[in-house]
Amino acid sequence: MIGKKEWFRRRRYGGWGIAPSKWQGWVYIAVVIGIFVLIQNLPLGDTKNNLIANAIFAVVVIADCLEIMFRLPMDEREKLHEAKAERNALWVMLTILIVGVFYETGMGLNTGIIEIDPVIIIAIIGATVVKAATHIYLEKKE
Amino acid sequence: MKNNIAEIRKSLGITQEKLASLTGVARQTILALEQNRYNPSLKLAHDITKSLKKSRIEEVFDLE
Repeated sequence: MIGKKEWFRRRRYGGWGIAPSKWQGWVYIAVVIGIFVLIQNLPLGDTKNNLIANAIFAVVVIADCLEIMFRLPMDEREKLHEAKAERNALWVMLTILIVGVFYETGMGLNTGIIEIDPVIIIAIIGATVVKAATHIYLEKKE
Repeated sequence: MKNNIAEIRKSLGITQEKLASLTGVARQTILALEQNRYNPSLKLAHDITKSLKKSRIEEVFDLE
């Protein structure tokens, strides 16, 4: 779309997504930031309009970054490393979420009202469903 | 699984970068293979064998 995959590399040590690997990648980021600032300062009547315009631009930028990310090549060894790193990251996230459920339950027992954040429960259920779906898909495919 | 990728590659005068581009993998993967730190898939082993102008996988890879 806008950015080229040659300008970026896949993030490995600083989270997820892409990071610039060439000067063109840094220019891309600078231009994106510049456009955000420009849109925010455009005389569109209401500040809400600027926010809406920026939200639309954000969707375009996110779509472009995702497209770049999926086009970045990854060989079999890199895929294996990525899969193991993602698995380990998931285990840490799951552990924290489950500890969070126990913590909130414990706090609830003290106060007499158990309130568990539904986002935590949805995240755990969502991950379980995705894991099962991935297994079903892979069993059929390979 | 051991291999003699480095010896064959050097005898052919091919760099790690060149072999990586011939087989469609990263240079780091070639390095890991040469240091026997990574066992390739059958397809990659086949592609490497072909790129190194050998006809049989056993000429490059040794299952021990």
